[in-house]
Amino acid sequence: MKFQIEDVTVYFPYDHIYPEQYAYMVELKRALDARGHCLLEMPTGTGKTIALLSLITSYTLSKPNNPVKLIYCTRTVHEMEKTLAELKLLHAYQTTHIGDRARILAVGLSSRKNLCVNSRVLAAENRDSVDASCRRLTASWVRAAAAANPNLPTCEFFEEYEKAGSNAVLPPGVYTLQDLRAYGKEKGWCPYFLARHMVQFANVVVYSYQYLLDPKVAGYISKEMQKESVVVFDEAHNIDNVCIEALSVSVRRQTLEGARRNLNKMRQEIEKFKATDAGRLRAEYNRLVEGLAQRGNLPFTDNWLSNPALPDDILKEAVPGNIRRAEHFLHVLRRLVQYLEGRLETDNVEKEGPVGFVASINTHAGIDQKTLKFCYDRLHSLMLTLEITDTDEFLHIQTICDFATLVGTYTRGFSIIIEPFDERMPHIPDPVLQLSCHDASLAIKPVFDRFQSVVITSGTLSPIDLYPRLLNFHPVVSRSFTMSLTRDCICPMVLTRGSDQLPVSTKFDMRSDLGVVRNYGRLLLEMASVVPDGIVCFFVSYSYMDGIVNSWNENGILKEIMQHKLVFIETQDVVETTLALDNYRKACDCGRGAIFFSVARGKVAEGIDFDRHYGRLVIMFGVPFQYTLSKILLARLEYLRDTFQIKEGDFLTFDALRQAAQCVGRVIRSKADYGMMIFADKRYSRHDKRSKLPGWILSHLRDAHLNLSTDMALHIAREFLRKMAQPYDKAGGSGRKTLLSQEDVEKMSDGILNEMQY
Amino acid sequence: MFKPNDPTSASKIDVEFRLIKGYKNTKEGSNNPPLLNLSLEQGGSYIFEFENFLDLQVCREFVGNALTKSGDAAKAKSGDTAKAKSGEAVKATSDRSTVTYPDEQLISSAEMELRIKLLRENSELQNLHKKFVLGNILTESEFWATRKKLLDGDIGTKSKQRVGFKSSMILDIKPMTDGRTNKVTFNLTPEIKYQIFALKPAVHRAFLNHVPNKMTEKDFWTKYFRAEYLHSTKNAVAAAAEAAEDEELAIFLKDDDILANAARQKIRRVDPTLDMEADQGDDYMHLPDHGIFRDGSKEITDSQHEQFKRTFLQDLNRQGEVVLEGRTIDVELEDPRTVAEALAQSRQESDENAKQERLDRISRMTEMEDLQAPHDHPLAPLCIKDPRDYFDSQQLKTSDDTRAGSEQLRCSLSSEEAYGSLRGSISEIKAMGLSDPVVRPEVAVMVLNGLTQNISSTKFQLGKNAQEGILNSLPNTTKEELLHHWISIQELLRHFWSSYPITTSYLYAKVSRVKDAMSKIYPQLEEIKESVPSDLRQQVFLLVRPMHQALDAAFQHYEADLQKRSAKGGDKPNGYV
Repeated sequence: MKFQIEDVTVYFPYDHIYPEQYAYMVELKRALDARGHCLLEMPTGTGKTIALLSLITSYTLSKPNNPVKLIYCTRTVHEMEKTLAELKLLHAYQTTHIGDRARILAVGLSSRKNLCVNSRVLAAENRDSVDASCRRLTASWVRAAAAANPNLPTCEFFEEYEKAGSNAVLPPGVYTLQDLRAYGKEKGWCPYFLARHMVQFANVVVYSYQYLLDPKVAGYISKEMQKESVVVFDEAHNIDNVCIEALSVSVRRQTLEGARRNLNKMRQEIEKFKATDAGRLRAEYNRLVEGLAQRGNLPFTDNWLSNPALPDDILKEAVPGNIRRAEHFLHVLRRLVQYLEGRLETDNVEKEGPVGFVASINTHAGIDQKTLKFCYDRLHSLMLTLEITDTDEFLHIQTICDFATLVGTYTRGFSIIIEPFDERMPHIPDPVLQLSCHDASLAIKPVFDRFQSVVITSGTLSPIDLYPRLLNFHPVVSRSFTMSLTRDCICPMVLTRGSDQLPVSTKFDMRSDLGVVRNYGRLLLEMASVVPDGIVCFFVSYSYMDGIVNSWNENGILKEIMQHKLVFIETQDVVETTLALDNYRKACDCGRGAIFFSVARGKVAEGIDFDRHYGRLVIMFGVPFQYTLSKILLARLEYLRDTFQIKEGDFLTFDALRQAAQCVGRVIRSKADYGMMIFADKRYSRHDKRSKLPGWILSHLRDAHLNLSTDMALHIAREFLRKMAQPYDKAGGSGRKTLLSQEDVEKMSDGILNEMQY
Repeated sequence: MFKPNDPTSASKIDVEFRLIKGYKNTKEGSNNPPLLNLSLEQGGSYIFEFENFLDLQVCREFVGNALTKSGDAAKAKSGDTAKAKSGEAVKATSDRSTVTYPDEQLISSAEMELRIKLLRENSELQNLHKKFVLGNILTESEFWATRKKLLDGDIGTKSKQRVGFKSSMILDIKPMTDGRTNKVTFNLTPEIKYQIFALKPAVHRAFLNHVPNKMTEKDFWTKYFRAEYLHSTKNAVAAAAEAAEDEELAIFLKDDDILANAARQKIRRVDPTLDMEADQGDDYMHLPDHGIFRDGSKEITDSQHEQFKRTFLQDLNRQGEVVLEGRTIDVELEDPRTVAEALAQSRQESDENAKQERLDRISRMTEMEDLQAPHDHPLAPLCIKDPRDYFDSQQLKTSDDTRAGSEQLRCSLSSEEAYGSLRGSISEIKAMGLSDPVVRPEVAVMVLNGLTQNISSTKFQLGKNAQEGILNSLPNTTKEELLHHWISIQELLRHFWSSYPITTSYLYAKVSRVKDAMSKIYPQLEEIKESVPSDLRQQVFLLVRPMHQALDAAFQHYEADLQKRSAKGGDKPNGYV
């Protein structure tokens, strides 16, 4: 369908549109007009992605003299694929209705591991070894050597790509990772480098958060993005955590041991070069005297992760004299490693600010702040000079240099915490030194500064006023949309009591109570006998899940559950979890029915949809609070309180409830879908907890459903499922329309728009 | 009857199979020529020499079948000394050892076995078989032709649907303790062994490699459960120590490398919308030591002994996978060795178009179903104006072949009737459900009453109980006789009606044979009627009448057809019929 939003003609690939999608587009359009940032919350299952994509592409079409580039950031690769698939649909629609004018180039970008087509490289186990084996074939010096000696292996795909030179371009179209690989194979060009090259010219780029937020990656991938870009962070409810992780480093014993090995290896290399090619080292020295700025003109393939500090924080000055010579630099690193080793030998938990830590390094190891700051770039330069291709072998020393650079660069928003062991396992010594970032706004700041519009959107951004404070920005539009439902297709319930009428909770003191465990088991068992197809359960942590599943096994509940449905479980092994999910879907497809046990804050909760029959019921066992005894969390809470005046309790509840909302929100994907959500913990019935849930869940949470026991919940579930099985009128029938046709949109007044917002 | 291939010997042997009590043959591969030795009951034996072993095999199989069959028949006759021949007696010409049945139909030994099995399981069928086939009223093939479905169906279910695994199979293997000592007993059934093989390919492989060359089966399982015990104690260190000492034990303790490889392969075919493995390659957080290491949300793993630490959760996932794959082999579970081998074979399969399917799935997933017009499914709406019509036609269809017998069916045995009415009510519900969301019970009751009026009428006449009451009130012998008669009548009628129109002389002969048999039953029914006490006569009469009616109808038809035939084609030679 085609309609007008103010001066923009929007091409939408479906015959109908939800009113909230329309309202969403209107707000988004206003934000684009104002060239400012915006924050939009719209419930899951209302088609955020397609609304966003069609508005932004249509916006560019309507204003050809002012094209905007769309940088779409997703949390995971499979979301990237989903987004690109939706864009493909939209693109097909737009090109058939407008013609060639609507042609765009959209690429997805991922790591070498997901894009490489060279079978020799792909044989490597993990991402880092794929990167390294790619480098082994494509680094500039390898290729130079191979030109002289044809027996040396190179990557034929990269050579072909290089040969094609500027002709190596992607024709317009939408390319998923799969398509890129297929295209690369067909042409014989390396898809990874092709995609990285095309990123600059593409109208739409879809990639992971890290490519913008993590300075190490953003430094060499997103550097050339123009200011006239719209950056979208989808599923952004966890964006603050991503930002924090991007700037945090931890050092363990293994790291230090590895770093020592790396240093020895490098010393040998230096000795070798001294004997054979002393000129190289001298050339490097001279270059360093002139200043570092060498990254810009490096060959494409020699790029590594960039400096972990943010681009604006890197001083534009020459490398300090005391680390210009390679062997001197190695000495400095050796002293640093030794110092860190000494710090790890502690029996008490220590907490320090970066300033104090740097001062103590200076006194004990004789390394000043400026030297620390340049560690990372100096290491880079050295590794290039030494022509090291096995980058995966040298990860440990890179970690140490990351740490040094970060600690030397920032004076606030960080703290260094040394723990001799994990509190939960005090008998196992495992000292760790963590540099943890507390301020999410640090990592995202350059993004807000550089790009004209940044859109942060998700199904759960409540309370919506907290995000601007956490991320320290000023949105021009900040809206939360409701969901216009044709029928009550979601049914949230708060279950406070088990079948024996005793309260259930995962509160610390009740957690291991056998009665609670049994009540949870009975709840699942009863539900499994009533609910068809798929059920998803979320637990508060892996260890809790492990414990409860084992005790269900012991007292026979698990066996009873398995008489109704198959059981699949998320484990820490990603491959296994993926296969378990695949089998779970198979079981739902074939009608056997299955239950998936998963963990809040886990990978499954973050990115996997349990829509339609894949999830008719989701049970959230407990409130997924963070581990409140964690030293890092405490430090962060303290920082938030001091800097942003956010109370500890408020933040913890907010964080727990957004995770819970995220978990239960996975069950619904469109209005034709339906699902139940059970919050199984007595604490959910308290107003201060419950009110932090997003509005679209709260509005369906009836007062009668706030204090249920298992038998009542079972009754409600039966009723609900029976009601949902009936046919209904999709357009919403009388009263409010929930599905708009083109006509409806044309004669729509602003009145409806306001209705959609809170 | 064996005819020697050698034209010079004129002798011809004709021995009835029932006289043969056993047979021996030379083994293939031995130096002896292919010989078959048939020993006779009266002593003495025949030795046949064959040209090659293939012929011998064929012949031996045939003889074996014939022997079991005649033995079976003898049993069925239970002491009956009647001369056995009929369908079982088989004529074999051995001029190149080709085996033929009298009706020129080659029946595979498998089918033969199936028939024998069916006969043995179903005494009713056996009776019928005895009566008609052995009584020369129907031939063997005729008898079975009407039961093709029974045969086919049996084969069909065998190959198509296997019993799957139980969802909770890993929990079934529970040890038993005797309470006093520390001894633990595991009860292993072939089924459990098979489940273990399916769940754990490494154990399976170890079994193939080690049993019985390196260790006995018992040792193997002892070791296996020792390993399981170590797992259950969750003591990874102890497990590691034991594994270091005992190489075979280590197999069970380590992670299953076969599974790991399979996982790596399967991950490539996984739905991209849930491929979390791809993220791992993309997410730069996975650089070691980057990101927040210990904030309480991440778990601690003991990396050193990780390979000995298999969790219950992993087992659960694996079990789910195996259950979904279903049973892949179809062998008897008696011998673990054969099970293991069969399983190994079934593991070798591959699929190609998985990739395309993967792509299709993602494009289907992305569409928002309710924003666009629904996809057109090729189905026509079912609209039934008058349910009555629909059921009547359905009824006709189902009871078409037993039309003649359907009357008596109502009164005596109601399986067909029940099926019909059940079917009717199911389609009723379907129909009503489509035209009207709620099935009104009164409508259903009305329809049911209408359909079962016949039953209800007898029911009301007799008072409380339905037709079973009548039968039960009869003396046992009478009841059985009646039932037996009506089954025979049904069978005969089925053959009778299915032979019309008569197009070949063969059919004609069959019809007259059947008719003769039926006319023999007719007076027998009369006898029963007479023999019962007077108070029950009325009811027996009611039961017998429909049988008579059905028979009468058949006779009438036969007469009419005969007349027509003779009137029309009187000039045809008698040999035609």
